[in-house]
Amino acid sequence: MKNTIKFILIVLWLGFLSCKKDTKDPDPQPEPLAPVTGDTIKVIFEHTVNDTLVFNLNQKYVNPNLDTFKVSILKYYISNVVVTKTDNSTFAEANSYHLIDVSNYNSTVLNILNVPNGSYKSISFTLGVDSARNCSGAQSGELAPSDMFWSWFTGYIMFKLEGTSPQAVSSNKQLQFHIGGYGGVNKVQRNFNFNFATTPSNVSGSTSPSIHLSADINEVFKTPATINFATQSSQVSVGPNAKIYADNYADMIHFKHVHN
Amino acid sequence: MNKIAIIVLLFGVVIFGACKVDPKIIEPLPANNLVEIIPEGWPQPKYTYSVNTISEDKFVLGRALFYETMLSVTDSISCGSCHQDFSAFSHSGHKVSHGIYDRLGKRNAPGIFNLTWHPYFMHDGGINHIELQPLGPISNTLEMGADINPVMTKLQASSKYQGMFKKAFGTDTITSQNMLRAITVFMGLMYSYNSKFDYYKRHENNIDLTASELNGYNLFTAKCSGCHTEPLFSDFAFRNNGLSVDPFYQDSGRAHITGMPQDRYKFKTPSLRNVAKTAPYMHDGRFNTLNECLDHYTNGITNLINLDPLIPNSGLQLSAQEKLDIIAFLNTLTDYKYLGDRRFANPNF
Repeated sequence: MKNTIKFILIVLWLGFLSCKKDTKDPDPQPEPLAPVTGDTIKVIFEHTVNDTLVFNLNQKYVNPNLDTFKVSILKYYISNVVVTKTDNSTFAEANSYHLIDVSNYNSTVLNILNVPNGSYKSISFTLGVDSARNCSGAQSGELAPSDMFWSWFTGYIMFKLEGTSPQAVSSNKQLQFHIGGYGGVNKVQRNFNFNFATTPSNVSGSTSPSIHLSADINEVFKTPATINFATQSSQVSVGPNAKIYADNYADMIHFKHVHN
Repeated sequence: MNKIAIIVLLFGVVIFGACKVDPKIIEPLPANNLVEIIPEGWPQPKYTYSVNTISEDKFVLGRALFYETMLSVTDSISCGSCHQDFSAFSHSGHKVSHGIYDRLGKRNAPGIFNLTWHPYFMHDGGINHIELQPLGPISNTLEMGADINPVMTKLQASSKYQGMFKKAFGTDTITSQNMLRAITVFMGLMYSYNSKFDYYKRHENNIDLTASELNGYNLFTAKCSGCHTEPLFSDFAFRNNGLSVDPFYQDSGRAHITGMPQDRYKFKTPSLRNVAKTAPYMHDGRFNTLNECLDHYTNGITNLINLDPLIPNSGLQLSAQEKLDIIAFLNTLTDYKYLGDRRFANPNF
């Protein structure tokens, strides 16, 4: 027993040494779900431009710098979803990693399963993938290596936007923003927390409430840094320049309403 | 007639004797010895098989994948193409890796051994985990040039791999995670800790170093071990060892990953275990012999920026005899037991 504890401590210590971790269990296997009374909360991401126009791929929009652009690929990770009850108890989704791909509607609706009965007043999540999962080797499911993973410089592309703009000074007027970097001062994960205490969402076993959020594409190009496609048409590496886009998308997602 | 027979026999004995390696150094391996090893006096490895537990089925699958050309886009290049068992899994005689369509890579393929102690991988340390390392060469357009998903589709369509994954992981649904974990079981068990020098250090098998080897060891300890630290013969730090910059590759090394000017031209210190078998040398394979390497350290140092503080501008002071002694010592780091370990050889031959 003592030896087991020692071994566990050593393993934990080694893990800590090799990689700074935020939190979270590095074991990539999802825990078997215990049977709980409860139901599903749907979290619906509706993509917009300036919070009002419906966003569609390959359609023309104007950014805050008045450059026109079309988006062909928009993908980003949402992770570690936690909902909080009106009594302040929380429910954290297990193995909570979702890849939102705007070309696939189903991926824009997160189904948070087995949420215990009760009245919920807030939701929080991260845009991006926590440091731990960037440092724990080969992952599975939504985190399996894909075009959202850098193989030559380990780490997830947390946010990817590609498209074209006539203002872009690049091959074929391309826009390419691959935003990543899991640790240090230039990390690009951003946390969101939305409070809806005035209209709590009720999980009762028979109702499946849905939380509607809006993801505003132009927020990526607006503040604090206004992006000018003539000079900023690509960002594909980690560092202070990637952080500019992360600071911009830190307010990309807005709360709309709850349907009970 | 008898005379001729005796001469032939004697001749055979002489040839056989010449080829036979000292039996004290090579021992037969147990048939299946697939366990984690921490040699005496070594630190704890960075990677342990606590989640990805070791099994013979995973090892056999990992070996098949290591030598599997389907991992490249053209079905022509495997990991084993540039990592050959007889040269400590380096690419013997090749300055840089050879990839699909005869493309040349930009860096020298290093040997593979004791990987579970490495805190990061590749010459620039860009990959942070042993399980993810294979994705580098698989996706590099100058090496295997493949996207991971089409590779998984090819493996999934193979009844051979369906069966092997089923045996190793209990499911014939083939995932990249299981593929990478199997390769990690195979590569991570390539331990090398039984060189002549190791036996000498451990006082095993009555192995002694010659006067030249011992002098080389003392010189090495004084002049080289600041970076090539025992027992792994690397400190795994990133250092600029005074190489001039190849105008074709313009390889900035670690700075390619960090973007920091202070990391320009720094590369991960390579282990010197089995170094006599891993020519050519340096990150771009520019030196063919150990002698050229020592000549570099004595009178070839270029101080662009970031020259490592452990290397004087004027180079190390070594006489011709001292170089010979150091090379004699480096030769004692060859682990014939690991080099001859058939468990790691290509199962297709």
